[in-house]
Amino acid sequence: MTDENLSYEQARAELATVVERLEAGGISLEESLALWERGERLADICQHWLDGARERLDAARQQAGAEA
Amino acid sequence: MRVVSQKISGWIAKLGWVWVDGQVAQISRRPGATTVFLTLRDPSADLSLTVTTNRDVLDLGAPNLEEGARVTLHAKPDFFPARGTLSLRADEIRQVGLGELLARLERLKKLLAAEGLFDPRRKRRLPFLPGRVGLITGRASAAERDVLTNARRRWPSVDFRVVNVAVQGPTAVPQIIDALKVLEADESTDVIVIARGGGGVEDLLPFSDEALCRAVFACRTPVVSAIGHETDAPLLDYVADVRASTPTDAAKRIVPDLGEEIRVIRQARQRLDRAVRGLLDREQHRIDAIRSRPVLARPQVMIEQRTADVTALRDRAGRSLDHRISAAAGDLRHTVARLRALSPAATLDRGYAIVQGRAGHVVRAASEVAKGDVLRVRLASGELSTTVDEASEENR
Repeated sequence: MTDENLSYEQARAELATVVERLEAGGISLEESLALWERGERLADICQHWLDGARERLDAARQQAGAEA
Repeated sequence: MRVVSQKISGWIAKLGWVWVDGQVAQISRRPGATTVFLTLRDPSADLSLTVTTNRDVLDLGAPNLEEGARVTLHAKPDFFPARGTLSLRADEIRQVGLGELLARLERLKKLLAAEGLFDPRRKRRLPFLPGRVGLITGRASAAERDVLTNARRRWPSVDFRVVNVAVQGPTAVPQIIDALKVLEADESTDVIVIARGGGGVEDLLPFSDEALCRAVFACRTPVVSAIGHETDAPLLDYVADVRASTPTDAAKRIVPDLGEEIRVIRQARQRLDRAVRGLLDREQHRIDAIRSRPVLARPQVMIEQRTADVTALRDRAGRSLDHRISAAAGDLRHTVARLRALSPAATLDRGYAIVQGRAGHVVRAASEVAKGDVLRVRLASGELSTTVDEASEENR
Protein backbone atom coordinates (compact mmCIF):
# COMPACT_ATOMS: atom_id res chain seq x y z
CA MET A 1 0.00 0.00 0.00
CA THR A 2 1.22 3.39 -1.02
CA ASP A 3 -0.71 4.74 1.99
CA GLU A 4 1.69 3.13 4.33
CA ASN A 5 4.56 5.16 2.82
CA LEU A 6 2.92 8.46 3.70
CA SER A 7 4.79 10.42 6.29
CA TYR A 8 2.83 11.86 9.17
CA GLU A 9 3.05 15.34 7.68
CA GLN A 10 1.90 14.15 4.26
CA ALA A 11 -1.05 12.30 5.77
CA ARG A 12 -1.99 15.27 7.92
CA ALA A 13 -1.79 17.70 5.03
CA GLU A 14 -3.94 15.49 2.81
CA LEU A 15 -6.39 14.96 5.65
CA ALA A 16 -6.79 18.72 5.99
CA THR A 17 -7.44 19.00 2.26
CA VAL A 18 -10.04 16.23 2.35
CA VAL A 19 -11.86 17.88 5.24
CA GLU A 20 -11.86 21.22 3.47
CA ARG A 21 -13.35 19.68 0.35
CA LEU A 22 -15.99 17.88 2.37
CA GLU A 23 -16.85 21.05 4.25
CA ALA A 24 -17.01 23.08 1.07
CA GLY A 25 -19.75 20.73 -0.19
CA GLY A 26 -21.04 20.78 -3.75
CA ILE A 27 -19.79 17.29 -4.54
CA SER A 28 -21.63 14.09 -5.38
CA LEU A 29 -22.64 11.58 -2.73
CA GLU A 30 -20.36 8.98 -4.20
CA GLU A 31 -17.46 11.37 -4.15
CA SER A 32 -18.37 12.50 -0.62
CA LEU A 33 -18.32 8.92 0.59
CA ALA A 34 -15.02 8.26 -1.09
CA LEU A 35 -13.59 11.42 0.43
CA TRP A 36 -14.89 10.51 3.86
CA GLU A 37 -13.37 7.04 3.64
CA ARG A 38 -10.10 8.60 2.54
CA GLY A 39 -10.28 11.02 5.46
CA GLU A 40 -10.83 8.21 7.95
CA ARG A 41 -7.94 6.29 6.46
CA LEU A 42 -5.66 9.32 6.64
CA ALA A 43 -6.72 10.05 10.22
CA ASP A 44 -5.87 6.43 11.08
CA ILE A 45 -2.47 6.79 9.48
CA CYS A 46 -1.80 9.95 11.49
CA GLN A 47 -2.92 8.28 14.69
CA HIS A 48 -0.79 5.26 13.89
CA TRP A 49 2.25 7.46 13.53
CA LEU A 50 1.54 9.24 16.81
CA ASP A 51 0.88 6.00 18.68
CA GLY A 52 4.03 4.46 17.24
CA ALA A 53 6.08 7.48 18.22
CA ARG A 54 4.72 7.30 21.77
CA GLU A 55 5.50 3.60 22.01
CA ARG A 56 9.04 4.16 20.84
CA LEU A 57 9.44 7.00 23.28
CA ASP A 58 8.14 4.92 26.17
CA ALA A 59 10.27 1.95 25.17
CA ALA A 60 13.39 4.15 24.98
CA ARG A 61 12.53 5.68 28.36
CA GLN A 62 12.06 2.28 29.95
CA GLN A 63 15.35 1.09 28.54
CA ALA A 64 17.06 4.23 29.78
CA GLY A 65 15.42 3.72 33.17
CA ALA A 66 16.61 0.10 33.28
CA GLU A 67 20.15 1.11 32.41
CA ALA A 68 20.36 3.93 34.91
CA MET B 1 106.38 38.66 6.83
CA ARG B 2 104.41 41.67 5.61
CA VAL B 3 102.77 39.62 2.91
CA VAL B 4 101.81 36.83 5.28
CA SER B 5 100.45 39.34 7.79
CA GLN B 6 98.46 41.09 5.08
CA LYS B 7 97.08 37.79 3.81
CA ILE B 8 96.00 36.75 7.30
CA SER B 9 94.50 40.20 7.85
CA GLY B 10 92.64 39.93 4.56
CA TRP B 11 91.27 36.52 5.42
CA ILE B 12 90.09 37.58 8.82
CA ALA B 13 88.58 40.78 7.44
CA LYS B 14 86.30 38.66 5.30
CA LEU B 15 84.69 37.12 8.40
CA GLY B 16 81.33 38.64 9.26
CA TRP B 17 79.69 39.98 12.40
CA VAL B 18 78.58 37.45 14.97
CA TRP B 19 76.77 37.37 18.30
CA VAL B 20 78.95 35.78 20.94
CA ASP B 21 77.89 34.55 24.34
CA GLY B 22 80.47 34.04 27.03
CA GLN B 23 81.84 34.71 30.49
CA VAL B 24 84.19 37.58 31.30
CA ALA B 25 87.52 36.18 32.58
CA GLN B 26 89.38 39.46 32.74
CA ILE B 27 88.60 43.11 32.14
CA SER B 28 91.06 45.96 31.78
CA ARG B 29 89.82 49.53 31.79
CA ARG B 30 92.81 51.84 31.47
CA PRO B 31 92.14 55.33 32.70
CA GLY B 32 92.05 57.76 29.81
CA ALA B 33 92.10 55.04 27.17
CA THR B 34 89.07 54.70 24.93
CA THR B 35 89.69 51.03 24.17
CA VAL B 36 88.76 48.37 26.69
CA PHE B 37 90.16 44.85 26.58
CA LEU B 38 88.16 41.84 27.75
CA THR B 39 89.08 38.19 27.95
CA LEU B 40 85.97 36.16 27.12
CA ARG B 41 85.69 32.50 28.08
CA ASP B 42 83.29 29.76 27.19
CA PRO B 43 81.45 28.83 30.43
CA SER B 44 81.66 25.07 29.89
CA ALA B 45 84.91 24.59 27.88
CA ASP B 46 88.49 25.78 28.12
CA LEU B 47 88.37 28.36 25.32
CA SER B 48 88.98 32.06 25.37
CA LEU B 49 89.24 35.04 23.05
CA THR B 50 90.29 38.63 23.48
CA VAL B 51 87.64 41.23 22.91
CA THR B 52 88.33 44.85 22.20
CA THR B 53 85.70 47.48 22.43
CA ASN B 54 85.11 51.15 22.92
CA ARG B 55 84.52 52.41 26.45
CA ASP B 56 81.29 54.09 25.31
CA VAL B 57 80.01 50.74 24.01
CA LEU B 58 80.80 49.12 27.35
CA ASP B 59 79.23 51.95 29.37
CA LEU B 60 76.11 51.82 27.24
CA GLY B 61 75.52 48.02 27.36
CA ALA B 62 77.28 46.84 30.52
CA PRO B 63 78.41 49.75 32.71
CA ASN B 64 79.05 47.69 35.86
CA LEU B 65 80.67 44.75 34.14
CA GLU B 66 82.81 42.63 36.43
CA GLU B 67 84.87 39.51 36.00
CA GLY B 68 82.76 36.32 36.05
CA ALA B 69 79.68 37.96 34.52
CA ARG B 70 77.88 36.55 31.50
CA VAL B 71 77.86 38.79 28.45
CA THR B 72 76.53 38.72 24.97
CA LEU B 73 78.29 40.83 22.42
CA HIS B 74 78.08 41.74 18.78
CA ALA B 75 81.54 41.47 17.32
CA LYS B 76 83.69 40.97 14.26
CA PRO B 77 86.97 39.02 14.26
CA ASP B 78 89.83 41.48 13.89
CA PHE B 79 93.53 40.94 13.24
CA PHE B 80 95.94 43.36 14.85
CA PRO B 81 99.00 43.27 12.57
CA ALA B 82 101.29 45.19 14.91
CA ARG B 83 101.26 42.34 17.41
CA GLY B 84 99.90 39.55 15.23
CA THR B 85 97.03 38.98 17.58
CA LEU B 86 93.46 38.04 16.86
CA SER B 87 90.63 39.68 18.77
CA LEU B 88 86.93 40.27 18.55
CA ARG B 89 86.00 43.87 17.98
CA ALA B 90 82.67 44.45 19.68
CA ASP B 91 80.25 47.26 18.88
CA GLU B 92 77.60 46.12 21.33
CA ILE B 93 77.99 44.43 24.69
CA ARG B 94 75.26 43.39 27.08
CA GLN B 95 75.58 41.90 30.48
CA VAL B 96 73.42 38.79 30.79
CA GLY B 97 71.53 38.97 34.05
CA LEU B 98 68.20 37.47 34.91
CA GLY B 99 66.57 40.40 33.14
CA GLU B 100 68.61 39.71 30.02
CA LEU B 101 67.70 36.03 30.10
CA LEU B 102 64.07 37.07 30.24
CA ALA B 103 64.68 39.63 27.51
CA ARG B 104 66.15 36.86 25.35
CA LEU B 105 63.10 34.77 25.98
CA GLU B 106 61.01 37.76 25.00
CA ARG B 107 62.87 38.08 21.71
CA LEU B 108 62.54 34.36 21.03
CA LYS B 109 58.88 34.68 21.87
CA LYS B 110 58.48 37.48 19.32
CA LEU B 111 60.37 35.47 16.72
CA LEU B 112 58.26 32.37 17.25
CA ALA B 113 55.09 34.46 17.29
CA ALA B 114 56.12 36.09 14.01
CA GLU B 115 56.65 32.62 12.55
CA GLY B 116 53.12 31.71 13.59
CA LEU B 117 53.99 29.11 16.23
CA PHE B 118 51.53 30.71 18.67
CA ASP B 119 48.78 31.26 16.11
CA PRO B 120 45.44 30.33 17.73
CA ARG B 121 44.30 29.00 14.34
CA ARG B 122 47.11 26.44 14.46
CA LYS B 123 46.00 25.09 17.83
CA ARG B 124 44.60 21.60 17.82
CA ARG B 125 41.51 20.89 19.86
CA LEU B 126 41.77 18.36 22.61
CA PRO B 127 39.62 15.26 22.17
CA PHE B 128 36.59 15.27 24.45
CA LEU B 129 37.62 11.92 25.85
CA PRO B 130 41.16 10.80 24.93
CA GLY B 131 41.80 7.11 24.30
CA ARG B 132 45.19 7.43 25.95
CA VAL B 133 47.00 10.33 27.57
CA GLY B 134 50.76 10.65 27.17
CA LEU B 135 52.37 12.28 30.20
CA ILE B 136 55.91 13.66 30.08
CA THR B 137 57.09 14.57 33.56
CA GLY B 138 59.74 14.05 36.21
CA ARG B 139 59.97 10.66 37.87
CA ALA B 140 57.82 10.40 41.03
CA SER B 141 57.25 14.15 40.89
CA ALA B 142 54.42 16.05 42.51
CA ALA B 143 53.41 17.11 38.98
CA GLU B 144 53.07 13.46 37.91
CA ARG B 145 50.99 12.64 40.97
CA ASP B 146 48.79 15.74 40.53
CA VAL B 147 48.00 14.93 36.91
CA LEU B 148 47.34 11.22 37.49
CA THR B 149 45.30 11.63 40.68
CA ASN B 150 43.11 14.47 39.47
CA ALA B 151 42.49 12.98 36.05
CA ARG B 152 41.46 9.64 37.55
CA ARG B 153 39.20 11.37 40.05
CA ARG B 154 37.34 13.00 37.17
CA TRP B 155 37.36 10.04 34.80
CA PRO B 156 38.30 6.79 36.59
CA SER B 157 39.04 4.78 33.46
CA VAL B 158 41.50 7.27 31.95
CA ASP B 159 44.52 5.51 30.39
CA PHE B 160 47.96 7.07 30.86
CA ARG B 161 51.29 6.39 29.26
CA VAL B 162 53.87 8.11 31.43
CA VAL B 163 57.34 8.93 30.12
CA ASN B 164 59.69 10.10 32.85
CA VAL B 165 62.35 12.63 31.88
CA ALA B 166 64.73 15.09 33.47
CA VAL B 167 62.79 18.32 33.89
CA GLN B 168 65.73 20.61 34.52
CA GLY B 169 69.39 20.77 33.61
CA PRO B 170 71.12 20.26 30.28
CA THR B 171 69.54 16.86 29.53
CA ALA B 172 65.96 18.03 30.00
CA VAL B 173 65.37 19.39 26.50
CA PRO B 174 66.71 16.40 24.53
CA GLN B 175 64.87 13.96 26.81
CA ILE B 176 61.59 15.81 26.51
CA ILE B 177 61.94 16.00 22.73
CA ASP B 178 62.66 12.25 22.60
CA ALA B 179 59.63 11.57 24.79
CA LEU B 180 57.49 13.67 22.46
CA LYS B 181 58.67 11.58 19.51
CA VAL B 182 57.88 8.34 21.34
CA LEU B 183 54.36 9.47 22.26
CA GLU B 184 53.75 11.04 18.84
CA ALA B 185 54.57 7.66 17.28
CA ASP B 186 52.06 5.91 19.58
CA GLU B 187 48.82 5.93 17.59
CA SER B 188 46.65 5.33 20.64
CA THR B 189 47.90 8.49 22.36
CA ASP B 190 45.36 11.24 21.68
CA VAL B 191 46.85 13.98 23.84
CA ILE B 192 50.27 14.69 25.34
CA VAL B 193 50.78 16.51 28.63
CA ILE B 194 54.11 18.05 29.56
CA ALA B 195 54.01 18.68 33.31
CA ARG B 196 56.44 20.07 35.83
CA GLY B 197 55.99 21.60 39.25
CA GLY B 198 57.03 25.11 40.16
CA GLY B 199 60.64 26.25 40.22
CA GLY B 200 62.97 29.15 39.67
CA VAL B 201 63.13 30.92 36.34
CA GLU B 202 66.39 29.12 35.53
CA ASP B 203 64.84 25.76 36.40
CA LEU B 204 62.02 26.40 33.96
CA LEU B 205 64.33 27.55 31.14
CA PRO B 206 64.23 24.17 29.32
CA PHE B 207 60.49 24.77 28.78
CA SER B 208 61.28 27.91 26.85
CA ASP B 209 63.86 26.20 24.67
CA GLU B 210 63.48 26.97 20.99
CA ALA B 211 64.09 23.37 19.86
CA LEU B 212 61.45 22.11 22.27
CA CYS B 213 58.97 24.77 21.11
CA ARG B 214 59.50 23.76 17.51
CA ALA B 215 59.18 20.06 18.35
CA VAL B 216 55.87 20.73 20.13
CA PHE B 217 54.63 22.83 17.23
CA ALA B 218 55.45 19.99 14.84
CA CYS B 219 53.46 17.46 16.90
CA ARG B 220 50.28 16.20 15.28
CA THR B 221 49.01 15.10 18.67
CA PRO B 222 47.62 17.99 20.76
CA VAL B 223 50.01 19.04 23.51
CA VAL B 224 49.02 20.44 26.89
CA SER B 225 51.57 22.54 28.74
CA ALA B 226 51.38 22.35 32.53
CA ILE B 227 54.49 24.01 33.85
CA GLY B 228 54.98 25.49 37.30
CA HIS B 229 52.47 27.76 38.92
CA GLU B 230 49.78 30.07 37.63
CA THR B 231 52.25 32.94 37.19
CA ASP B 232 54.88 30.99 35.24
CA ALA B 233 54.67 31.40 31.49
CA PRO B 234 57.43 29.53 29.68
CA LEU B 235 57.27 29.69 25.87
CA LEU B 236 55.94 26.13 25.87
CA ASP B 237 52.71 27.61 27.25
CA TYR B 238 52.33 29.70 24.10
CA VAL B 239 53.21 27.06 21.56
CA ALA B 240 51.24 24.26 23.25
CA ASP B 241 47.71 23.64 21.97
CA VAL B 242 46.34 24.14 25.46
CA ARG B 243 47.95 25.94 28.36
CA ALA B 244 47.15 24.59 31.80
CA SER B 245 48.13 26.81 34.70
CA THR B 246 49.23 23.85 36.87
CA PRO B 247 49.47 20.06 36.58
CA THR B 248 46.14 19.84 38.44
CA ASP B 249 44.55 22.17 35.90
CA ALA B 250 45.94 19.95 33.11
CA ALA B 251 44.03 17.00 34.58
CA LYS B 252 40.84 19.04 34.26
CA ARG B 253 41.60 19.93 30.64
CA ILE B 254 42.36 16.43 29.37
CA VAL B 255 39.40 14.46 30.71
CA PRO B 256 35.78 15.42 31.37
CA ASP B 257 34.22 15.07 34.80
CA LEU B 258 32.23 11.83 34.74
CA GLY B 259 29.68 12.94 37.35
CA GLU B 260 29.14 16.25 35.60
CA GLU B 261 28.76 14.56 32.21
CA ILE B 262 26.21 12.12 33.61
CA ARG B 263 24.23 15.01 35.07
CA VAL B 264 24.34 16.93 31.78
CA ILE B 265 23.23 13.87 29.83
CA ARG B 266 20.38 13.27 32.25
CA GLN B 267 19.23 16.86 31.88
CA ALA B 268 19.51 16.69 28.12
CA ARG B 269 17.47 13.50 28.16
CA GLN B 270 14.75 15.12 30.20
CA ARG B 271 14.60 18.08 27.85
CA LEU B 272 14.57 15.75 24.88
CA ASP B 273 11.75 13.82 26.45
CA ARG B 274 9.71 16.93 27.16
CA ALA B 275 10.30 18.28 23.68
CA VAL B 276 9.21 15.09 21.93
CA ARG B 277 6.21 14.57 24.18
CA GLY B 278 5.16 18.17 23.68
CA LEU B 279 5.40 17.74 19.95
CA LEU B 280 3.39 14.52 20.06
CA ASP B 281 0.72 16.13 22.23
CA ARG B 282 0.41 19.09 19.90
CA GLU B 283 0.08 16.83 16.89
CA GLN B 284 -2.47 14.69 18.73
CA HIS B 285 -4.55 17.80 19.35
CA ARG B 286 -4.37 18.74 15.70
CA ILE B 287 -5.51 15.30 14.58
CA ASP B 288 -8.23 15.24 17.25
CA ALA B 289 -9.43 18.64 16.09
CA ILE B 290 -9.60 17.50 12.48
CA ARG B 291 -11.39 14.30 13.43
CA SER B 292 -13.92 16.19 15.52
CA ARG B 293 -14.97 18.37 12.58
CA PRO B 294 -18.57 17.40 11.68
CA VAL B 295 -17.69 16.16 8.21
CA LEU B 296 -15.51 13.47 9.74
CA ALA B 297 -17.05 12.98 13.17
CA ARG B 298 -20.65 12.64 11.87
CA PRO B 299 -20.40 11.19 8.40
CA GLN B 300 -24.05 10.07 8.61
CA VAL B 301 -24.95 13.74 8.18
CA MET B 302 -24.11 13.56 4.51
CA ILE B 303 -26.50 10.59 4.16
CA GLU B 304 -29.14 12.17 6.37
CA GLN B 305 -28.98 15.40 4.46
CA ARG B 306 -29.58 13.60 1.22
CA THR B 307 -32.28 11.41 2.76
CA ALA B 308 -34.07 14.55 3.84
CA ASP B 309 -33.72 15.94 0.33
CA VAL B 310 -35.25 12.76 -1.14
CA THR B 311 -38.11 12.79 1.36
CA ALA B 312 -38.84 16.41 0.65
CA LEU B 313 -38.86 15.80 -3.09
CA ARG B 314 -41.05 12.77 -2.66
CA ASP B 315 -43.47 14.80 -0.57
CA ARG B 316 -43.53 17.52 -3.15
CA ALA B 317 -44.15 14.95 -5.86
CA GLY B 318 -46.97 13.38 -3.81
CA ARG B 319 -48.56 16.67 -3.05
CA SER B 320 -48.37 17.66 -6.66
CA LEU B 321 -50.10 14.44 -7.76
CA ASP B 322 -52.79 14.74 -5.10
CA HIS B 323 -53.59 18.18 -6.28
CA ARG B 324 -53.99 17.09 -9.81
CA ILE B 325 -56.16 14.13 -8.84
CA SER B 326 -58.34 16.36 -6.73
CA ALA B 327 -58.69 18.80 -9.55
CA ALA B 328 -59.60 16.04 -11.96
CA ALA B 329 -62.20 14.67 -9.54
CA GLY B 330 -63.78 18.12 -9.25
CA ASP B 331 -63.92 18.42 -12.99
CA LEU B 332 -65.59 15.05 -13.20
CA ARG B 333 -68.26 15.93 -10.66
CA HIS B 334 -69.00 19.15 -12.42
CA THR B 335 -69.22 17.45 -15.75
CA VAL B 336 -71.52 14.74 -14.36
CA ALA B 337 -73.75 17.42 -12.86
CA ARG B 338 -73.90 19.19 -16.17
CA LEU B 339 -74.58 15.92 -17.87
CA ARG B 340 -77.30 15.22 -15.42
CA ALA B 341 -78.78 18.66 -15.91
CA LEU B 342 -78.94 18.13 -19.66
CA SER B 343 -80.62 14.68 -19.34
CA PRO B 344 -84.20 14.36 -20.79
CA ALA B 345 -85.15 11.86 -18.09
CA ALA B 346 -86.78 14.51 -15.95
CA THR B 347 -88.94 15.60 -18.87
CA LEU B 348 -89.90 12.03 -19.63
CA ASP B 349 -90.88 11.63 -15.97
CA ARG B 350 -93.43 14.29 -16.44
CA GLY B 351 -95.14 12.17 -19.18
CA TYR B 352 -93.40 13.40 -22.30
CA ALA B 353 -92.04 10.86 -24.76
CA ILE B 354 -89.29 11.09 -27.33
CA VAL B 355 -90.08 9.79 -30.77
CA GLN B 356 -87.18 8.64 -32.89
CA GLY B 357 -87.18 7.60 -36.46
CA ARG B 358 -85.65 4.52 -37.81
CA ALA B 359 -82.27 6.22 -38.16
CA GLY B 360 -82.46 7.35 -34.59
CA HIS B 361 -83.20 10.98 -35.33
CA VAL B 362 -85.71 12.70 -33.11
CA VAL B 363 -89.04 13.32 -34.85
CA ARG B 364 -90.21 16.85 -34.27
CA ALA B 365 -92.81 17.26 -37.05
CA ALA B 366 -95.51 14.98 -38.60
CA SER B 367 -94.16 15.89 -42.00
CA GLU B 368 -90.98 14.07 -41.12
CA VAL B 369 -92.73 10.73 -41.19
CA ALA B 370 -94.98 8.86 -43.59
CA LYS B 371 -97.66 6.26 -43.14
CA GLY B 372 -96.21 2.91 -42.38
CA ASP B 373 -92.90 4.27 -40.81
CA VAL B 374 -91.77 2.40 -37.72
CA LEU B 375 -90.97 4.76 -34.89
CA ARG B 376 -89.41 4.24 -31.53
CA VAL B 377 -91.11 5.91 -28.60
CA ARG B 378 -88.89 6.43 -25.54
CA LEU B 379 -90.81 6.77 -22.28
CA ALA B 380 -89.68 7.65 -18.79
CA SER B 381 -89.47 3.98 -18.24
CA GLY B 382 -88.90 1.69 -21.23
CA GLU B 383 -89.70 2.23 -24.95
CA LEU B 384 -92.26 1.28 -27.53
CA SER B 385 -92.13 0.45 -31.21
CA THR B 386 -95.04 1.85 -33.23
CA THR B 387 -96.16 2.17 -36.81
CA VAL B 388 -97.54 5.44 -38.26
CA ASP B 389 -101.24 5.09 -39.32
CA GLU B 390 -101.72 8.65 -40.37
CA ALA B 391 -99.61 11.77 -40.38
CA SER B 392 -101.32 15.15 -40.55
CA GLU B 393 -99.89 18.63 -40.69
CA GLU B 394 -100.89 20.66 -37.76
CA ASN B 395 -102.55 23.89 -38.69
CA ARG B 396 -101.69 26.49 -36.33
